[in-house]
Amino acid sequence: MDALREWLATTPMAQGMDPELLTGLAMLTFASLVLVGVALAAMIFIWCERKIAGYMQSRYGPMYTGRFHGWLQSIADGVKLLLKEDIWPANADKLLFRIGPLLVFTGAFLGYAVLPFSPTWVGANLDIGLLYAFAASSLVVTGVLAAGWGSNNKWSLFGAMRGAAQVVSYEIPLGLAVLPIVMSVGTLNLSQLIIAQQGYIWNWHVFNPIFFFAFFLYLISSLAEVNRLPFDLPETESELVSGYHTEYTGMKFAFFFLGEYADMFVVSAIAVTVFLGGWYTGIPAVDNFVHPAVVFIGKSVLLVMVQIWLRWTLPRLRVDQLMFVCWKVFIPATLGLVFLYGLSRVILR
Amino acid sequence: MTDLQLSERTATMPGDQARPLKSDLLHINMGPQHPSTHGVLRLFITTDGEIVHTVTPYLGYLHRCAEKIAEGTTWHQYIVYTDRMDYLAAMNCNWGYCEAVEQLMRATGTEVEIPEYAQCVRVIIAELNRIASHLIAFGTYGLDLGAMTPFFYALREREAILNIFEKVCGARLMYSYYDIGGVKWDIPPDAMEEIKLFLKIFPKKLVEYNALLTENKIFVERLANVGVLDRETAIAYGCTGPVLRGSGVDWDLRRDEPWGIYDRFDFEVAIGRGQMGTLGDNWDRYYVRMLEMEQSVKIIEQAIAMMPAEGEIMAKMPRTLKVAPGEIFVRTEAPKGEMGFHIISDGGAEAFRCKTRSPAFHNLHVLEKLGEGQMISDLCATIGSLDLVLGEIDR
Amino acid sequence: MVKILNDIRESITSIATGMGITFRHLGKKPVTQQYPDERWSMPDRFRGFVHNDVPRCTACLACAKDCPVDCIYIETIGKGKERQMSRYAIDYNKCIWCSLCTEHCPTDCITMSHDYDHAVYRRERLVYEFVDEPVVPFKPPKPEKKPKPAATPATSATDAAATPATDAAATPKPSDDGSES
Repeated sequence: MDALREWLATTPMAQGMDPELLTGLAMLTFASLVLVGVALAAMIFIWCERKIAGYMQSRYGPMYTGRFHGWLQSIADGVKLLLKEDIWPANADKLLFRIGPLLVFTGAFLGYAVLPFSPTWVGANLDIGLLYAFAASSLVVTGVLAAGWGSNNKWSLFGAMRGAAQVVSYEIPLGLAVLPIVMSVGTLNLSQLIIAQQGYIWNWHVFNPIFFFAFFLYLISSLAEVNRLPFDLPETESELVSGYHTEYTGMKFAFFFLGEYADMFVVSAIAVTVFLGGWYTGIPAVDNFVHPAVVFIGKSVLLVMVQIWLRWTLPRLRVDQLMFVCWKVFIPATLGLVFLYGLSRVILR
Repeated sequence: MTDLQLSERTATMPGDQARPLKSDLLHINMGPQHPSTHGVLRLFITTDGEIVHTVTPYLGYLHRCAEKIAEGTTWHQYIVYTDRMDYLAAMNCNWGYCEAVEQLMRATGTEVEIPEYAQCVRVIIAELNRIASHLIAFGTYGLDLGAMTPFFYALREREAILNIFEKVCGARLMYSYYDIGGVKWDIPPDAMEEIKLFLKIFPKKLVEYNALLTENKIFVERLANVGVLDRETAIAYGCTGPVLRGSGVDWDLRRDEPWGIYDRFDFEVAIGRGQMGTLGDNWDRYYVRMLEMEQSVKIIEQAIAMMPAEGEIMAKMPRTLKVAPGEIFVRTEAPKGEMGFHIISDGGAEAFRCKTRSPAFHNLHVLEKLGEGQMISDLCATIGSLDLVLGEIDR
Repeated sequence: MVKILNDIRESITSIATGMGITFRHLGKKPVTQQYPDERWSMPDRFRGFVHNDVPRCTACLACAKDCPVDCIYIETIGKGKERQMSRYAIDYNKCIWCSLCTEHCPTDCITMSHDYDHAVYRRERLVYEFVDEPVVPFKPPKPEKKPKPAATPATSATDAAATPATDAAATPKPSDDGSES
């Protein structure tokens, strides 16, 4: 964002402006850019998901709106959701029903402030960047609970309870899985974490034997964080109709969806930052030609595609199996990895 | 059960005496409109959080008075109503009814001789419809559990079968193909070629389904040791078909009380063996259906081999059929279980009473027993394993 | 401990196999058809909307009687030689496309067409009237007197004089329930 501020300072309108005001303007511009980007990205992801789901299921997916493989389908859906009647269930809790989707979207959106798209394109180069990202995404839990309770619907309550339990539980292995890398690099700053992987592809953290397992544990925990199959109990289509967002229509429903896809991108981007080399392509010669942001976003998109692939292949886990896997398999495993890495550091010093 | 049931859990803090936690049961309606109740089935559940205490099915949302209508339509016209009972296996329901009327005619003195060719055609078509019905059971089961892709693969194979049926009788779901005395149309040569092609490609698809869903660890964990139905309960509730065979009971009407020419076929009866968990759990019932599809392929191949080159498709029947007075109960093995027809004739052109014993109706009631103690997700899995079709439960 | 490792191994292999199957499908051609741009032609026996070729209809009412849901409405006026059919309507709200009506038609004027897509906005539009003004029912010509194949010359002359009873009689009465085969 410093780069953005510098660029804004050179524009005619910023001459003679108060520096604080200029910083505020830069922040506002950055946030708007990211908001537009997130909305566009969510639309593209939804279209991708429907097409990939279609081809995996021997069918086409959207083909009609936009004539070429239905590329306008997401925009058409967005317009439709805007124009829909805003239905409020009887005796719904007014405040909670309204802020549920907003909290979910905000929690996902806040994570974009620290994502290092390139060495200079960072919203806020925080020294606690990783911790901030995980903390911000926990805001989603409050939104889910608010939505479930505010809907005045027993099925929504079920979904919300499951969702809250799931997200809160899986944040622990999520955080613990990146702990060995933090121990290795010595900082929580996301840009520093990437810079530690510069050079050839084998410098990437994922190719280190201990970090390899941490990567897989992180990937699966991130699926649980964003409520994707095989952990989509909060929004099981076949049991609870739609779980905590059953009663929502129109823009509120759209916010839930935008929030889900935004969160998917955030956790994938963090995986790319911590494990997969960030904005480095792995071949130093190519790094000079390719813009780092393109590499970063490309790798994150690839991970999002993997999440989509998993969704359309696997059945979902039952809630007690989910909890069992988290508390009795993942947490011991990640703790074991932390211990192992520490031991290896002591031995190999 | 009283309205407010106090749970008997206790809460203990260190140093305290155990004091009972008074919590209420949650009364939830898994209403007529629900994605995983396979039709308009209403289940009234009382749960303690996620654990189900009681399940009470409420039926009748799809009741269309079929049995009353039977008393006003002729024997021949009623065949179209039998289509609409188990609409996923309409050919088998047709055959059950036609078999019942034919046996009543034989029992009351009229000689009904169904040609050999028609018998073979009847078996081929019925077994094809068994495969189609089990494909839907397999696909929707995956859908209930969140695996949405196998559903489309199942429908892709079912399309091949429905195309065959379209060539044979012109319809894709409500066939009314069987008639009292035979079948209405012959199998045209191009449909026969398609049947043979289908028999060639289908076993490979079954291997693919087993790799994608049956052996998937998550799927197995969801199904194994859940909804365990033991032999005695299954027999006591009158369960039949894959539900009974999944509990280890070796009973299949096609082998034990054959009708038509079923006594000439060599096939294995699939029964559950408790491979992945307890005997009689959801996985066993599901796997019995997968094995039955393989066996149906064998039966169809044998039927094609023993079919005469040409023959009559229909016995000689009067234009208006009148059945001599009498009553009979005939049961046949439909894909969901034993489909029984209790027909009483008073000598007229219409039935006096035609009661249908539908297999899913009796299989459904075992849910009250199986549901206790399960979680809601398990309840959805158990409903899927019972393979219910509300059309035949409500008639 | 061994069980947990076994579980993990089984999970990974089964999930990887499943993912391989879905991934392989990405390259295959989809099996669906882009309706309504692509349609396929129906097989010969396809049971679509019922169509009655009124010029050939003898108003024998066999189709109306055979229909299980009573969706064919036939009204005739007059009797005997002045008999006319004033209304032939099929109510497609009720028709279940079972083709029982086509089974016993003496002149095969009622057939199942290959149409299937006549959606309407109002239910009354689905009652198709085939007759605008009263028509005289079709009188099929008497079939030729076929000589009997293997009999002696003397008997064949007498037998050939009899009218074969299989094809429709000249003017079937409305109350005839077709009890002869």
